[in-house]
Amino acid sequence: MTIGVLVLGVLASGLALAADAVKLTLTSVRVVQENKNGQVSETFQPALSVRPGDLVEWRLEAENTTERPLRQVVLVIPIPKETRYLEGSALALERGNTRLLPLFSYDGGQTYGLPPLKRKVKVNENGKELEKEVEVKPEEYTHARWVLPELAPKEKVLLKLRTIVR
Amino acid sequence: MKRFSGILSLLLVLWLGLAIAQTPAGTSIQNQASATYIDSANQPRSTTSNLVVTVVQQVYSFTITPNSTHSGSPATEANLTAPGQIRTALPGAPVYLAYTVSNTGNGSDAILLSPAQGIADNFDLTGVSIVRDINCNGQPDSGEPTVTSVTLAQGASACIVVQGTVPASATNGQIANINLAGTSQGNSSVTDNDNWSRVIANTAATLTLTKSASPTSSVTPGQNITYTLSGSNTGGSAAGAVTSVVTLGTARNGILITDVIPSGLTYVANSLSGSAGAGTVTLIYSTNGGTSWTSTQPSSGVNAVGMLIEGSGNFFPQGASYTLSFQAQVPAGIASGTSYSNFATLKFDANSNGNANDPGETVTSNTTNNTVGAAYSVLVGPYQNPLGSASGTYTAGGYTVARSGDTQSITSAYSGSAVIFRHTLRNTGNTTDSFNLSYLGQPAGWSCQLLADDLSTPISGAVGPVAAGADYSFALQCTISASYTTTSAVSLTLKATSTGDASKADTTADSVSQVVSGYSVDVAHNTDGTAGGEPVNPANNTRPGYNPPVNPGGSAQFPFEVKNTGVNPDTYNLTATLPASWTAAFYPDTNCDGNMDTPQPASVSSTGLITANQIRCFIAVVNVPTSATPVDVTPGTSDNVQFTATSTTLGSVSDTILGAVDVNAVRTFSFTPNRSGTVTSPGTIVYTHTLSNTGNQPATVSIPAYTSTYGWTYQYSTDGGTTWTSSVSGLSLPIGATANLQVRVIVPAGEPINRSEAATLTATATYASGTASASVIDTTTIVGGDLRLSKSAVSYVGSTATVRSGTAAQAFPGDEIVYTVVAENIGTGNLTKVVVSDPLPAYTTFVSVSATTTIPGGPVLYSTNGTTWSTTAPTNLPAGSVIYVGVDTNGDTNITAADTMPPSGKITLTLRVQVQ
Repeated sequence: MTIGVLVLGVLASGLALAADAVKLTLTSVRVVQENKNGQVSETFQPALSVRPGDLVEWRLEAENTTERPLRQVVLVIPIPKETRYLEGSALALERGNTRLLPLFSYDGGQTYGLPPLKRKVKVNENGKELEKEVEVKPEEYTHARWVLPELAPKEKVLLKLRTIVR
Repeated sequence: MKRFSGILSLLLVLWLGLAIAQTPAGTSIQNQASATYIDSANQPRSTTSNLVVTVVQQVYSFTITPNSTHSGSPATEANLTAPGQIRTALPGAPVYLAYTVSNTGNGSDAILLSPAQGIADNFDLTGVSIVRDINCNGQPDSGEPTVTSVTLAQGASACIVVQGTVPASATNGQIANINLAGTSQGNSSVTDNDNWSRVIANTAATLTLTKSASPTSSVTPGQNITYTLSGSNTGGSAAGAVTSVVTLGTARNGILITDVIPSGLTYVANSLSGSAGAGTVTLIYSTNGGTSWTSTQPSSGVNAVGMLIEGSGNFFPQGASYTLSFQAQVPAGIASGTSYSNFATLKFDANSNGNANDPGETVTSNTTNNTVGAAYSVLVGPYQNPLGSASGTYTAGGYTVARSGDTQSITSAYSGSAVIFRHTLRNTGNTTDSFNLSYLGQPAGWSCQLLADDLSTPISGAVGPVAAGADYSFALQCTISASYTTTSAVSLTLKATSTGDASKADTTADSVSQVVSGYSVDVAHNTDGTAGGEPVNPANNTRPGYNPPVNPGGSAQFPFEVKNTGVNPDTYNLTATLPASWTAAFYPDTNCDGNMDTPQPASVSSTGLITANQIRCFIAVVNVPTSATPVDVTPGTSDNVQFTATSTTLGSVSDTILGAVDVNAVRTFSFTPNRSGTVTSPGTIVYTHTLSNTGNQPATVSIPAYTSTYGWTYQYSTDGGTTWTSSVSGLSLPIGATANLQVRVIVPAGEPINRSEAATLTATATYASGTASASVIDTTTIVGGDLRLSKSAVSYVGSTATVRSGTAAQAFPGDEIVYTVVAENIGTGNLTKVVVSDPLPAYTTFVSVSATTTIPGGPVLYSTNGTTWSTTAPTNLPAGSVIYVGVDTNGDTNITAADTMPPSGKITLTLRVQVQ
């Protein structure tokens, strides 16, 4: 039994050295909105430094670098704790005739769901402990993810979401 | 900064709440995306993106309150519609304007403060200065410094008093406007200029109202805030009562001080007290925010308090003072950052018209601000019972875990297994928090780790963030070492500690009442040819009635079965304890039938992995050496072999079975070879024999005296011919020993030629267990001439020089045998035409032949037919042929009567053959 485990361990580490089949590139830009005669125009600036209240857009490009399709590709953009998610800014991924909706987590990526997310809270009312379900506000989201059933060879997808610096 | 004052306090709460959440300047925001996927080889993989780092810059922001309202922007005195605060004062008297400065940016900043006197008013204040109001009571106190700026950390605020003096020349009703302008030192474009206040010169009665809160700023959930309202008549006349200022059953007249308790705070019963320097004091309460009042304290729901100083006319003289205080409690569990601001209102009559509608007659105090600080608290307890009031059971890791109060326990666990205690903690603080989990109390040899609620993902570092009031479940898993057992309870203490305040922690207890060994093995004789079905241990350790008898060199089989009677999988080493020089080997008996499998499997030294309650069968084969002496043992009583299975995990776990092997007594004895010879009469001949004890016991050999038919004398010698006796007795022959025995035949004179006697000589070996006998036949023939022939043979192992048998008594196919025939003239005269012949024995193949002679003069000649002779020896000889040799003493290359053999002459013929 021990020998078997050892062999698996060696295999796993050997494969880990191989290049990743999915190449992830994350970039961030600062979104500057200007309102001219009721027309909101946006310009994008490098987000090397930001201020509280600034709008930051996170762009994740994922590319299948191999010649074979990959399955069950789960792409995760964390929402930094110094920022809060801008509701509605994570867009569905349009692929052919399917729309992949983003899922969100409020518990550090342990569980994901479609908004509105619910959280169970125990409250003490008149000496009785009750469990209440409360809605989790978008600003409490910690992660967003998209689950792609398949990523074709050499296919690239671009995912975006926006956060506001706290 | 333009707000309706009515919603000021609400907005302030929200604004401060956001301010606290601002990310501090210099923070680096780091982000890294990740992906998991299944590759073309169906293997789950994961990868991460580059790390993106963004640094948060400082934002400068602050507020000065109270704000004035204006009809345009920017705020100026010209478009002032309502000052933020109005104070009245006697000409020549000091006046205090209270402000609060708050840093709402995300870093430390200095706020530069400058007072600006109005120009669209009646007079300017003299001696204007700014005082840092450390205790926030709205007026300068001894020791409070004069400042031109305040430096505030992120989220901090400070109370400020602008003080000045109303010039003595001011007349009743004249006003002065003054603004407190602020500028951020970090960013001079950030300013706050809408802080206009108004001072009204007043020779009439002036009642001041200042409010203080204790503690002054930060409060904790559950804490009481003590509010104190105080003031005095600093005006130039006595203050008067307002008609019907409040209705307490009936309309009452007097001076009224009221305070609406901030929403969220709870009035502390019986905490309201007050006194006044004149008039009659009545404490009053409202449960509807001051719409209606009662002098009887309601049992609950008080949300406004006040004091009526009852009197008539101008009853409150110059210099008279009053005070009112009460307590309100911050709710337990309130969120961090929640802010409570509060001010009070006073109504009196200054111009004897019986109402409080004239300027200065309704006084609003300074506003106190209390913000709830972060309070960290945690409770951890049994699974789904963070509060520690648990009951019932659940199953984890194969064990039933009982919950009772704040304790979880497992009644009994096995060594080598893992126990899992699931837990739930609750963030009982008022803000999001993370928690460090730790445990102690695990004995040496236990290996514990914390797992997420999926019972597989290890937890490293703090868990969270967990929102205020939310629960987080996890588990403590401890693997008990194989050798650990105990009858006393093992207690583990699990602790959750707030990362926000490391002094806030809670513990819960886990215990294992006893640990019994999870390793056990039972070895049993397999008596029924199937797995199991044997008697229980230890009865199955012996096998009465089974004592296989074996010959030396033989083997005995013991079928047995090994059962893992523990709870953990284990492998057992198989060993045997045997008499000296015995050996044993173990063979798997796959079908447990007790018989050796066909083909015979390879022997093993361990059982291989056996899971709990599984049985595997084996056969122990005991090999008895050829030298083994007889053994007779009784199974179950005097067993002589043992087989043991020992756990490879825990060496103290083993089981041994006993077995009995009998060794047969073997009485084999040999007496070889048969001999034949010729002798003259009179004459003597000696035959040499070998006695061998090939049994497994010592033997004593005896040979009786031989009685010759012809009166010849037979004698024996066991010492190489030194002493001769007529019989042999008491010759000791140990196991495997051989002894030489010489037989001497003495023939008297006068025996006829060709008389022959075949003497059968029988030797008897006496063993402890019986006797064995063997015989040789010595054939002696009387010859007339003087030529004596003798023949001997030696066998060799194959074609080597290793002797198989000195007497050729034993030879295997392929062995070579050398026959030596010696012809000697034992007479006194010459012999002629001496030809020595020897047939090629049946079932042998000729190898070589040679001959030597002691006769001088002639070469040895060879013949295969007795008539044609050659000086060279033949190199092959067909089966059934005879080889002839002679000595050609006259040199005619033929053996004739002319060729002589002198006395003592010898011809030696050596024939080498190979056994077919």
